Amino acid sequence: MAANFWTSSHCKRLLEQEEISVVSNDDRDRGLTQEDVKIIKIYFSSYIKKLAQRAKVRQRVVATAIAYFRRVYTRKSFSEYDPRLVAPTCLYLASKAEESTVQAKLLIFYMKQIGSDENGFRYDIKDILEMEMKLLEALDYYLVIYHPYRPLVQLLRDAGLSDMIEMCWSIVNDSYGTDLILMHPPYMIALACIYISCVINERDNRLWFEESRVDMTVIKNIAMQIFDFYDNYRLGFEDRIGAILLKLSQKS
Amino acid sequence: MAREKDTNEIVALKKVRMDNEKEGFPITAIREIKILKKLQHENVIKLKEIVTSTGPEQDDPKETQKDAPKGAKEKSPSPPDGNIYKGSIYMVFEYMDHDLTGLSDRPGMRFTVPQIKCYMKQLLTGLYYCHINQVLHRDIKGSNLLIDNKGNLKLADFGLARSFSNDQNAQLTNRVITLWYRPPELLLGCTKYGPAVDMWSVGCIFAELLYGKPVLTGKNEQDQLAKIFEFCGTPDETNWPGVSKLPWYNMHRPSIYYKRRVKDVFKQFDRHALDLVERMLTLDPLQASRIIAKDALDAEYFWTDPLPCDPARQVFSIHFLPRYESSHEFQTKRKRQQQKDDMAKRQKPNQHYHHNSRPPPPIQQQPPVQNMRPVPGQAVHPSAHTGGAHQGHYAGGGGGGGGGRGPPGNSNRHPQAGGRPGGSGGSGGSSGGGYQNRNQGGYGIQPPPGAYGGPPPAGGRGGSYPMPPPGGYPQGPPYGGGGRGPPPMGGGGRGGQQYGPSNSLPGQYSGQPYGQPPQQYMDMDGNYRNY
Repeated sequence: MAANFWTSSHCKRLLEQEEISVVSNDDRDRGLTQEDVKIIKIYFSSYIKKLAQRAKVRQRVVATAIAYFRRVYTRKSFSEYDPRLVAPTCLYLASKAEESTVQAKLLIFYMKQIGSDENGFRYDIKDILEMEMKLLEALDYYLVIYHPYRPLVQLLRDAGLSDMIEMCWSIVNDSYGTDLILMHPPYMIALACIYISCVINERDNRLWFEESRVDMTVIKNIAMQIFDFYDNYRLGFEDRIGAILLKLSQKS
Repeated sequence: MAREKDTNEIVALKKVRMDNEKEGFPITAIREIKILKKLQHENVIKLKEIVTSTGPEQDDPKETQKDAPKGAKEKSPSPPDGNIYKGSIYMVFEYMDHDLTGLSDRPGMRFTVPQIKCYMKQLLTGLYYCHINQVLHRDIKGSNLLIDNKGNLKLADFGLARSFSNDQNAQLTNRVITLWYRPPELLLGCTKYGPAVDMWSVGCIFAELLYGKPVLTGKNEQDQLAKIFEFCGTPDETNWPGVSKLPWYNMHRPSIYYKRRVKDVFKQFDRHALDLVERMLTLDPLQASRIIAKDALDAEYFWTDPLPCDPARQVFSIHFLPRYESSHEFQTKRKRQQQKDDMAKRQKPNQHYHHNSRPPPPIQQQPPVQNMRPVPGQAVHPSAHTGGAHQGHYAGGGGGGGGGRGPPGNSNRHPQAGGRPGGSGGSGGSSGGGYQNRNQGGYGIQPPPGAYGGPPPAGGRGGSYPMPPPGGYPQGPPYGGGGRGPPPMGGGGRGGQQYGPSNSLPGQYSGQPYGQPPQQYMDMDGNYRNY
């Protein structure tokens, strides 16, 4: 997307951690904890990724879909909108918004391929289309999401670190396991990813960071959240997600 | 149209067409929303918000914030079976009084030179903004250029617009842009194109403003190409390198060799206008030949006397931009239709149907987003406006429009939400007389003679606006920095030409109705048309 991040809705709507991680009353009534919510988001972020791999869409679409998913649940509760439907619908909507449309019926087909029915993944085209409307409204029709990928490439070139692109790129991918995209400008996330791979590869790049005059505490803060994801949430949650979703379907 | 209850502001609604959509929310609407949310510019229509109505049976809190289009929602045909959406989605836009086609189609309407310059300048400014933001409009035409009574012009209807990237690798559809405004490269099947396609449309609009009516009015794609070649010359590898490699070149290669005759046809226009039109209507879309928006804004035309009038200044807008009662293409078309109907009663039908009908919109692969044009608040016959379907008005032009185009295509142009099919008969008949009267009286063909009278005496003009010395123009493009800077003030000779108070006497920029005299209403073939 062209235009400019600083004038975008994405920029104006950046949120604080506290605004994002609050558990809605509905969900709390059903016994969901903050930890549960985090797990749901991570689980479905990777679910979207899996679905997208089947549908063979670009990484951008995945990133946009995950951002939609996370943004929707800053406003809606999991008990109101079933994440098992919201996740594929986010991918569907993102595929349209990013100009690589996936047919709804194909999406349903892939959902059936990877999801097992016991888990409750039995939605139909009609459900996806209906949810799409609700999502559009929940997103307030703000569909343009800026991602760290483009600034990442530019920044690496500027820093003369283009050889680290692959590693940084996958760290950016993994950053979608967190809510960072809702909280920080994409270029800051990109910088944090560069920072991480510098640390891992033991490349001393402090001078460049100093020259770029960014707030290193923010960068380190972002990096910590990514590390937290790596340390604690990298593994799937196939075992735990069932119990959490069960909680959701029960009335308190 | 609706009214914002909080602010009492009138807004325009455009319904997002949801039926016949197997793939949910139409991607065309998604594009339009994305693009409109991105573009914030005074010459681009502002999308205020998007509202959902959940249908008549439920009382949606959002709906009650608006006066729903009166009588429209309830009457809207119930969606076909299988449509899961009970409600409708409307895009809410700022309200504009006119569209350019509606305004220029008014009987006896003549734009003054400063007015044409003013509209063209705004059109180009808006388009330049779109292009630097990497958006192609792809449907520039009169009815998509909205104008308010202050003389502001805004680009509207981004239903066909798309983002483009500079690498131009993406394959874009060539079935865009309303036929009469479609550039030759699209007609020849080109799928890699850029902002130049919009510039051709601008050229057509410009020529139309000068000429008084559309200039390239093909009946179908082949005819459109024929008309373009006849007017702009036959393309070959010298005037358009690469043309022979376009997909449909061999299919459409004309057997006769035409010379370019833009200059001959437009010789009555002033030199700068002619120069600009020439640079816009070039066959070769490459930047070296077809002018880009930025350069067009730097054209002499906009910086020579008479200067474009300035809508930003109230005092000028009152004096130089006439205020009109609201007019949109679908309304003027309706009026004309009623006149024709009247005439048809007296004379034999079918004689006058052709020349003024506007071309149908391009065929689209997806059902287009329904256009929803505002209905004027001050209309004398509101019932006639809200009730009528406009399908009927295409009877004349639809036939020439290259078959296959069903009602969705045609009626897409300016239907109201829930226009009753065939409903215009009754109301049209009863109000026909009223419209006629208003055409003669209220619509005041020409602005009051005092303010907008004939050309000012040549001497006086020369005195007030000395021609700038050649080369005295600031060379730096005033439109360079991404913003629309003020007109360059520096150049000594130019200072006097700015809107200084000494020049602000009403009537000085005015005059010179720029349409041609009636006897020159001939079409591009040189045939006289009974207009």
